[in-house]
Amino acid sequence: MDFPNELRYSPDHEWIRVDGSIATIGITDFAQDALGDVVYVAPAEVGDAVAVGASVAEVESTKSVSEIYAPVSGTICERNELLDTQPELLNQQPYGDGWILKIEVANVADLDPLMSAESYQTLVM
Amino acid sequence: MPVAPLKLSPLDARHRSLGAKLTEFGGWDMPLQYSSVLDEHHACRSSAVMFDVSHLGTLRVHGAGAFAALQSTLSNDLERIAIGRAQYTHLLDADDGHVVDDIIVWWLDDEEFFVMPNASNTDRVAEALGISSPPSDAGATKVRSQDITAGRALIAVQGPAARSFVKLVHPALADVGRFRVASVIWNGHNLLVAGTGYTGEDGIEIHVPQEAAEALWDALSDVGIAPAGLGARDTLRLEAGLPLHGHDLGPGITPLHAGLQWVVGWNKTAFRGRDALLALKERGADRQLIGLTIEGRQPPRAESEIVVDGNVVGVVSSGNFSPILGHGIALAFVDRDVAERGGAIEYSISVRSKLLPARRVAFPFVAASPPR
Repeated sequence: MDFPNELRYSPDHEWIRVDGSIATIGITDFAQDALGDVVYVAPAEVGDAVAVGASVAEVESTKSVSEIYAPVSGTICERNELLDTQPELLNQQPYGDGWILKIEVANVADLDPLMSAESYQTLVM
Repeated sequence: MPVAPLKLSPLDARHRSLGAKLTEFGGWDMPLQYSSVLDEHHACRSSAVMFDVSHLGTLRVHGAGAFAALQSTLSNDLERIAIGRAQYTHLLDADDGHVVDDIIVWWLDDEEFFVMPNASNTDRVAEALGISSPPSDAGATKVRSQDITAGRALIAVQGPAARSFVKLVHPALADVGRFRVASVIWNGHNLLVAGTGYTGEDGIEIHVPQEAAEALWDALSDVGIAPAGLGARDTLRLEAGLPLHGHDLGPGITPLHAGLQWVVGWNKTAFRGRDALLALKERGADRQLIGLTIEGRQPPRAESEIVVDGNVVGVVSSGNFSPILGHGIALAFVDRDVAERGGAIEYSISVRSKLLPARRVAFPFVAASPPR
């Protein structure tokens, strides 16, 4: 399994890529493998204000439904529309075209508790 | 209380070496998927796959009284078939006629049958047949039964190309017709083969002695048949509109509720649950199983409520994403007056406080592929 070094990780198995004030959110390789084939993704609406821990997307596989929680507070500024028709991208490219949404970060201190790739790998492997 | 260890298929080592994800099913540790449920599903609809279904039970019922014991207990009428054929049948509850288990019976010889219940129901079915272990031939019944589940594996090869593939392993495997049963000698091992399955596709199911199970699995693999797990088996059976015991059959659900009147031998003078079923036939079942589809991809899930005109009129019994159709499908029980109402009805499925518009359709949702 792959856990890119340049990303941050949450204990809920999300990855976070920080670029200026924008955090891109997706699910980790570990999470997509545990979920199995993803068939439906429903991200929250662009413009929604979210607090840390708020549900920002539902991800459904052939076997179960999972919630994705905001690892940072802020405002949702983009959702990945490719997922409307190709939710399998979460399995195929969890760190690439399978990203779920972007949040304009309100408080950069939210990023502090997030894990490094190394810590996350220790958690799940 | 000690937890019973999960039972392992004779093919367990193969599944582990293939890297399968395993799951508990009916007390067994079985493959959920090898690579991907969707890929395995599509491979079954377009080519052929093999499933390890060793978790199904096999009761060998034999003796002069075997026919009578089955005929007077199970719902379907064995007079409709003959030696060398298989039949889908039910064991019903004696009091209210609900489906205690759905079963395939293989009629092997004059006085010999294989009765194949769902994994967790094997003991219950043996008990209902009045021939529970240890074997007895008390009185004039002259019927014995053995639970031979542990001594064999059961491999289902399913898909439009199933026969083309199995022919390469042994031509006789491909010659077993739909709902026929035949004995085939392969590499000195006695296989029993039936033209049955649970995917809506053509195919065969092979009963193989435990000691030859891995060799047969390898031979099927060598001719190009990929393995598929119980995840794909479930999405395949749902597309085919086939009921799953514990979801679409079970307590409170008779064959009449599930639209399976054809599984009942109405002309028989006796079978378990007959009186209850006749009374129900007279007054009509209060709920009926229907098929629903939604436009979007979101999978309806079991226990989601069905809403018509703002009223809850039923509940989803099985639902998922249909890989072939590309949208959600569901089997659902709805009130009889709704099911029988003519004209267009606007259905909704309530999923986590969202109402998904749904349309009633006939099942199978997906028809079998032409053989190739």
